[in-house]
Amino acid sequence: MAWIYLIIASFGEIFGVIGINYYLQRKTFQRLLFVILPFGVGFVFLSMAMQEIPLGTAYAIWTGLGAAGAVLMGMIFFKESTSWKRIFFLLCIITGAVGLKILH
Amino acid sequence: MAWSYVLFAAIVEIFWVIGLRYSNSIVEWLGTIIMIICSFYFIIKACEKLPSGTVYAVFTGAGAAGIVIVDASFFGAALSIKQLLFVGLIIVGVIGIKLTSDNETSEKHVHTYKGAE
Repeated sequence: MAWIYLIIASFGEIFGVIGINYYLQRKTFQRLLFVILPFGVGFVFLSMAMQEIPLGTAYAIWTGLGAAGAVLMGMIFFKESTSWKRIFFLLCIITGAVGLKILH
Repeated sequence: MAWSYVLFAAIVEIFWVIGLRYSNSIVEWLGTIIMIICSFYFIIKACEKLPSGTVYAVFTGAGAAGIVIVDASFFGAALSIKQLLFVGLIIVGVIGIKLTSDNETSEKHVHTYKGAE
């Protein structure tokens, strides 16, 4: 069950980043909720997942899935660049972040 | 300016991660929550100008690297070679993405300009 919580937590980040784009199209309080709620719910599920999965592992997977998912959503729904250079450097950053959090 | 917002968000993140770890009074928790709000404010400001995927990845990476460095410099944590390699990888990625996205932004502007004609 903890692994399902962890995936839900990662989707919190992904939907949160989609929410930011949605909010920026029209800045209303309702749309701001699309930013706050996913990130908030994501954090709750992350802490639930961490009760069973070791902290470093949970944190690393959450970071990696969330950031990679956010990048993909940007490319699919918000026409962000899909150039190989951008993908390569983003992979460097995400790998570095996941690596640090696994070691932690 | 947009890149400075990403940087501010990552710096503030370092403080609230420390806050989450060490807060044990209402005032400290309140400060931590205010810092979380601030870092998300900066992320949203940065997303006005930069692609959200880039902003989020750079924010996450710079935050992770920053926390490891702060841990080693101020809290006496040991810094291993592996950690240094990952920090290096993040730095390469951030510099690379900044250089390439600056090019793409200027191309995008040229495009819009032509479209407007």
